Amino acid sequence: MDLEQLVDAALLKATNATGAAELDAVESELTGRSSPIADARRQLGKMPAEERPAFGARVNEVTERVKAILATRRAELVRIEADRLLEDDKVDVTLEAWTVAAGTENLIQQTIDEVSEIFIGLGYRVAEGPEAELGWYNFGALNTPPDHPSRLESDTLYLDYGDPADEILLRTQTSPMQARYMESYEPPVYVVVPGKTYRADPIDASHLPVFHQIEGLAVDTNITVSDLKGTLAYFAREFFGPQVVIRLRAHFFPFTEPSAELDVSCFVCGGSGVNCRLCKGSGWLEMAGCGMVDPNVFEAVGYDPATVTGFAFGMGVERMAMVKHGISNIRHFIDNDIRVLRQFR
Amino acid sequence: MKVSLRWLADYIDLPTKDPGELKYVLDLIGHKVESVDVLDARWTDVFVAQVDEIRPHPNADKVRLCKVSTGREQIEVVCGAWNFETGAKVAFAVPGATLPDGMEIGRRQIRGVESAGMILSERELGLGDDHTGILVLDADAPVGVEFTELVALPDVIFDLEITSNRPDAMSMIGIARDLAAYYDIPYSLPPTDPPTSGEAPRIKVRIEDPTGCYRFVARELRGATIAPSPFWLRQRLRAAGVRPISNVVDVTNYVMLELGQPLHAFDLDKVAEESIIVRRALPGERLVTLDGVERTLVSDDLVVADAVKASGLAGTMGGEESEVSASTKRVLIEAAAWDPPTIMYMSRRHGLLSEASRRFERGVDPNLPPDAASRAARLMVELTGGTTPAAFVDEIARIVEPGRIELSLSEVTRILGDDVPLAEVAPLLRRLRFGVEGTDPLSVTVPTYRPDLTRPVDLVEEVARLFGLDRFAETVPTGPGGGWTVEQRRHRAVRRILTGAGLSQAVNLAFLGLEDLEAFAYPSDHEGRQTIAVKNPLNDELSSLRTSLVPGLLRSLRYNGARGLTDVALFEIGRVFHHRHWDEDSRVPDQPDRLAFAATGGLGPRGLDGSARPTDVHTATAIWRLLGKGLNLDFELKSAVHPGFHPGRTADVFVAGQRIGHIGEIHPVTAAAYDLVGRIAAGELDMSPIIAPVPDWQINEPSPYPPVAFDLAFEVPAELPAADLVRATVAPHAEQLEEARVFDEYRGANLPAGRKSLAIRYVFRAQDHTLTTEEAADLRNDLIVAAQSVGATLRGT
Repeated sequence: MDLEQLVDAALLKATNATGAAELDAVESELTGRSSPIADARRQLGKMPAEERPAFGARVNEVTERVKAILATRRAELVRIEADRLLEDDKVDVTLEAWTVAAGTENLIQQTIDEVSEIFIGLGYRVAEGPEAELGWYNFGALNTPPDHPSRLESDTLYLDYGDPADEILLRTQTSPMQARYMESYEPPVYVVVPGKTYRADPIDASHLPVFHQIEGLAVDTNITVSDLKGTLAYFAREFFGPQVVIRLRAHFFPFTEPSAELDVSCFVCGGSGVNCRLCKGSGWLEMAGCGMVDPNVFEAVGYDPATVTGFAFGMGVERMAMVKHGISNIRHFIDNDIRVLRQFR
Repeated sequence: MKVSLRWLADYIDLPTKDPGELKYVLDLIGHKVESVDVLDARWTDVFVAQVDEIRPHPNADKVRLCKVSTGREQIEVVCGAWNFETGAKVAFAVPGATLPDGMEIGRRQIRGVESAGMILSERELGLGDDHTGILVLDADAPVGVEFTELVALPDVIFDLEITSNRPDAMSMIGIARDLAAYYDIPYSLPPTDPPTSGEAPRIKVRIEDPTGCYRFVARELRGATIAPSPFWLRQRLRAAGVRPISNVVDVTNYVMLELGQPLHAFDLDKVAEESIIVRRALPGERLVTLDGVERTLVSDDLVVADAVKASGLAGTMGGEESEVSASTKRVLIEAAAWDPPTIMYMSRRHGLLSEASRRFERGVDPNLPPDAASRAARLMVELTGGTTPAAFVDEIARIVEPGRIELSLSEVTRILGDDVPLAEVAPLLRRLRFGVEGTDPLSVTVPTYRPDLTRPVDLVEEVARLFGLDRFAETVPTGPGGGWTVEQRRHRAVRRILTGAGLSQAVNLAFLGLEDLEAFAYPSDHEGRQTIAVKNPLNDELSSLRTSLVPGLLRSLRYNGARGLTDVALFEIGRVFHHRHWDEDSRVPDQPDRLAFAATGGLGPRGLDGSARPTDVHTATAIWRLLGKGLNLDFELKSAVHPGFHPGRTADVFVAGQRIGHIGEIHPVTAAAYDLVGRIAAGELDMSPIIAPVPDWQINEPSPYPPVAFDLAFEVPAELPAADLVRATVAPHAEQLEEARVFDEYRGANLPAGRKSLAIRYVFRAQDHTLTTEEAADLRNDLIVAAQSVGATLRGT
């Protein structure tokens, strides 16, 4: 067999080989001790010196080509063999044979974080305050007169603790932290306060004795009603979607003047109210109480009401979460039913 | 408060009757519309008729023949209902009428008798579902009147939420006044002057308690005939949600709804010596109120008494004895102004929240009583046929003058910005009928019916309210820079790690019940039992503040278990409350944040059979290690005993040497108290040391050299914690240690009593070279020698 035929023979034999052993035999036959290539290398020594480089180059070239052909075929056979084995390794990928499941953060927590981060984006800080609170911070500092009905035991839970004159109670709102925060920091103040609040309300489909609020407070040298309105509108669009609009309705709270309630246009019916189960036809969803900080509150905390103005708002966390996720039974927030918790994604 | 648009039209000619537009305006100016009830006029050719005669149908025994007069004619009709007799007033559809459901009424033959028209049931009228018989109307319903007119339709009823600062708006006039101000249109007050007789009044009034009573007007009505009120009056009261009783009582309610002044009517013949004395109750004094309840009064109670005894709770509820009855001839009309807190406490003390007390506790205009009494007298004269003397008693204990407030226009701008033109401020206040003088500052006189307005800022609020909060621009101020604190970021990391481990975050009410204290068997001096009690608890379960989060989580596990949900892993972060001050400067109780978890069933990855590793103490320690390492805490666990926890399977957690809580298994007896079976992994830790800032971690450069590893089994005292053995053995070569892990613990037959075997895999690696065989042998030897310091010997030697 001359060197030209050797390459063709290698191709043919390698292609016909069906296993590694066969291919080893072919390799030995074509490149081994008694192969045509070995013969050719032996001839090289006997050749005239001027013919040697050309012939030598040809022998090397053929050798490389044969080796390359065999290597290619060898890799091909490995692949074919692996494919045969992997065919048997096939599984049903739809089987849930191994499950790693994460838990969830509570929807209350998620809502608090979501609201907090919207305000963090506006340069606010997040603070928390005591839940068992002095009557002074919950009422007195917030311009609530001693004879206000909200102080009655039918509304507020009082604690058997400390000096009776301190009226230790479970805070009925996150607002006392307004006063505490202003006592601790000089203006400007931009802060939101999430937390638990308590009322003497028996449990029913829409009331809990323990629920959550987020308070917001901005105090600066030049805060106006427009700032309150714009901030709440910004918040509502970030939280409920860019299509919502807000309105403020005049209202009354002891610690703000003027006071208002915030309505957000219903994002289910787009505000039309037509056949809407969420807003029950009104087109609006009541979402927060708010207003301009009453001068008496500034005085109570040692701020000068002649030099600063501010706004405050408070919203119900459960309410926001219920509205956003179509939850109609507030008990889902206290039962900790794992089937519900797992949905808090 | 329910406001009928028809009724409102008595006082104001509104520019729109559209319910939607009016709702918008009422909402905007602070009288939130809770509901709008649009009552249509849905009937034509339906009249009030009287059944003159009823006789049997000649050919049928399930129906009757009725002769009905409509005022214009008498018609015979066949009727299948049996719930009425001759003389009944009914709603009658004459031939040609169309009912709300589209049914046309004509003449037809029924079993050989012509029936023209139809007597209607509630359902046929579209008023309700009742179809058991026809609708029988009140006996005084005027025959021949359109049924629509009878029920005062069409109308729109707005149910308003009146805020507590606006007692004046708890009346038709108050609402008319606010709408008139908003629309800048006039409104009118109802006529108050009654036709009077020349008689002299005989009533005497004495206010003995000027703190509780500002003013008391008493007006006399003589020769009254007590009877039901006319239909229009009863209809208006019903529309407002008030039950009609009799002409005199109905007038007192009507005037309250109209003007906002609650009134009371006494049977003057039952007022001893015709004397009214306003005083505090005598201790133990008794009074039977109008609701028939005999009440024992306390000395804080304010009563309206006659010469002998208390005859009513001031501003709250009258007494039964002096109640106006069918035989009453002489009436005393009381119109008074009471001290709001006195009424608030008294009405709640007696559980009597009445329409009157709700108004008085908010503050009724102290200058309204004379007009209100006259208005009532005028209506009573008209409706009872009685007479009233021109003179009446007006006892004033405290004169209340209109307030005067100086308002700088700069104050308006400072709070409301530039949206309200300053030239509009004075006109806006004048529209509210306030007296305004001067230019800047404005000198504003505020009527006494607005006790909520005492300061300049209160007037700013009125300006904003009337100008319309919908007309302000929206601007967004930003703070000086915020963001989460380090502690808040680490708080979030705690939650992220725990949810990653498969636990879900629970939220429980912050209370404990007796059940919990017993289940956890806290000793009496344990902080767990020293709960802070709620003075006015809603029920037993909500009577004490929680001292631990774990009971709440076990209750949640029970809730899930009762629903067949057995693999449940929860954590909660929240406050507990201790019976000690928060710190020296604080008078509120200590209320630290805690982290607790509880897991039952299995937790972790699940195979095809759905099972995860069953929970036990090791679940608890694994959760803690994940948390401790994830938060870069230097921690240690030590066996410990705690109430409610398994005494042999609980550990204290130490962070930087400080005890921060405990983890382990719930005591089986405690678990059983919550109907829980199997091992419950649980723990409770203080949050503040977990989320406190720690130094930043520093990189540990991985060595490029190969490791050496060996497995050694030691025989050790049975009570020796594995961690102690590991710590002791690795100490000499800590800098080269890569891993030391106990992979087997064995207690068994071929070990001496009181001994156990611990097998440990050690991996060492040098930072700067490949450890030689000789170095490896030395390491191994050093481990074995070091083990002796804790009483451990190498096994198999």
